[in-house]
Amino acid sequence: MLNKIPKTNETYLVIVIVVYSIIVTFVNKSFMSVENFFDILRSGTGVAILGVGVLVVLLSGGIDVSFTAIAISSGYIAVKAIMALGIDNLLLAFIISCSIGILLGAINGIIIAYFKLPTLITTLGTLNLFHGLLLTIVGTKSVNAGQMPKCFIRFGAAKLLTFTSARGTTVGLSVFIIPLIAVILLTWFLLKYTMLGRSIYAIGNNMESAMRAGINVAKTQLFVYCYVGFLDGIMGVITVSEVRWVNPVYLVGTELTVIAAVVIGGARLTGGSGTIFGALLGISLVTILNSTLVFLGLSSSWMDFFVGLIMILSIGYTSYQNKIENQRLLIFK
Amino acid sequence: MLFNGITKKMDSSLLILLVVTIILIVVLSILLPNTFLSLRNFQSMAYQIPEFGLLALAMAIAMMTGGIDLSVIANANLSGILAAIILTQNITPDTAGSQLILIIALSILSALALSAICGLLNGLLIAYLGIPAILATLGTMIFFSGIGMAITEGRGVVGFPDLFLYIGFGKISIFPLPLVIFIIAAFIVGVIMDKTAPGQKIYLLGANPVAARFSGIRNNVIIIKTYMLTGFLAGLSSIIMISRVNSAKVGYGHTYLLQAILVVVLGGVDPAGGKGRISGVLLGIIILQALQSAFTLFGFDPYSKRLIWGLMLLIVMIINFINAKRKERVRRVKKIA
Repeated sequence: MLNKIPKTNETYLVIVIVVYSIIVTFVNKSFMSVENFFDILRSGTGVAILGVGVLVVLLSGGIDVSFTAIAISSGYIAVKAIMALGIDNLLLAFIISCSIGILLGAINGIIIAYFKLPTLITTLGTLNLFHGLLLTIVGTKSVNAGQMPKCFIRFGAAKLLTFTSARGTTVGLSVFIIPLIAVILLTWFLLKYTMLGRSIYAIGNNMESAMRAGINVAKTQLFVYCYVGFLDGIMGVITVSEVRWVNPVYLVGTELTVIAAVVIGGARLTGGSGTIFGALLGISLVTILNSTLVFLGLSSSWMDFFVGLIMILSIGYTSYQNKIENQRLLIFK
Repeated sequence: MLFNGITKKMDSSLLILLVVTIILIVVLSILLPNTFLSLRNFQSMAYQIPEFGLLALAMAIAMMTGGIDLSVIANANLSGILAAIILTQNITPDTAGSQLILIIALSILSALALSAICGLLNGLLIAYLGIPAILATLGTMIFFSGIGMAITEGRGVVGFPDLFLYIGFGKISIFPLPLVIFIIAAFIVGVIMDKTAPGQKIYLLGANPVAARFSGIRNNVIIIKTYMLTGFLAGLSSIIMISRVNSAKVGYGHTYLLQAILVVVLGGVDPAGGKGRISGVLLGIIILQALQSAFTLFGFDPYSKRLIWGLMLLIVMIINFINAKRKERVRRVKKIA
């Protein structure tokens, strides 16, 4: 029965998303259009990549709230660096951004792995530390589309495939989907087929047993947070290119919604279970909610209400199932 | 009792904390002779401590059970909004006398009741559904602010009668009224934790939930009581908060969350539960408020402050970790010897 729980959760989510989409389409027919679908995909890619990172951390039994600070720091520093260096190269931007991301992630990882501090509180501290550092040392000035290096703008505008819609406008699938798919495949491969990935699941499930099985918990945790930093770095460049504008004050503050979305997707905080598919479903639901509540006549103020409600309902369901199962198997935690 | 704790049973970490507090105040007084050590500064600190202090107390209790309550601020916001709505909808400039007092009392009671109910929701989710405290309170935090946002559309509810504002600005002899409320609340909570059975059960539950359960303690009941008290304290804080700014809005006080956790950890409460004294938390609050005032007087911008709070939280926890390891090593050596 334990095996069925993740699958059931994802099935429910798919049903909810499909039903909701149908309802929204009744209200506003333009929702169910390829153009809209590509739009959602374009704006949701960044959050989806962050979500994959959050999932990996949750799988290891931890929780990370500092990822938005890492992402915005990486992106902002990359933009500033490219502007200062004058080399208009997207690959360089990615390299800078990911390096910063890995560095910041490593700080998280070292504190958590070697000082064994609780992950929530640590990352709460590093969230404020990183963001405070960025705003104090690097500055608070935003960079708008006019000043931004062309490589980002080109990246944001590039399309993978285009066609003209019925109304005559060009509609294109953004190239953002390439890094997204790459991240998904990489993470999937890592989690499923590498020893490192299996270690992540093991630590999340039961750290004590993992240690006795010979798994190097500290190294695995360090890797987890560096990997998340790497993903955040990718997201930093994407988000900068997507809105063609970067203000270091933004992005931080949205972390809880992302975590809520991933948890809705079935990842358990107690670690050890959760799928990339579920995480993506959760993120899709929240992203769609975000852009469609307006169609249903509800202002964006209602967003948190629904996200919170869905989160409580879905975690309540999985946690309760878990609790019943533990009682049945006489597992006391 | 706070008195007993200070004189008789003071353990080393509490003593260190007290010494640090005194040293800090002395150092700051020297660095900022006319500004820090002024009546105006102490008065402003005395007015600012209560609303934050009640939230810190709330967080402390939740953390002593080994959990955490991320929703205290959202809870406070929502309760404050309820009180504000009752106040603004029912009071016109010429409402006076007993009717005014009645409406104010109603608004306060409603806020406290709502906050306790929100706490009850947290307790139910954690105890009966088995949701880990972090996730449950994360969900309720989003949910409560969602309700608040839906009601207010993000705008503030403004315009309270002067009699209500007295709560935030009034004085009893030389003491600010909010400070008196806070001290009474801290005293009561301290007594509950130290001297009563439910308080001791909270410690036991935090230290080892499985052992507590097998000792006959009804974990679920204790958890629910804990989070209801947490919610209630958040509601109390919200009354003070809204009367000090004469408005109620979603998001007010959101920086207090990190600071509350910092203060609680600083005060010696173990995030894993089971350890910590209210007196420690109080000292932590004083330290934080002193630093906060000093930073403002030094002219730090809010971003630098966030940096420092984050850094402090990490440093304090690392020091605690190193300390714990050292004690364990000493104990092991003693055993061998």
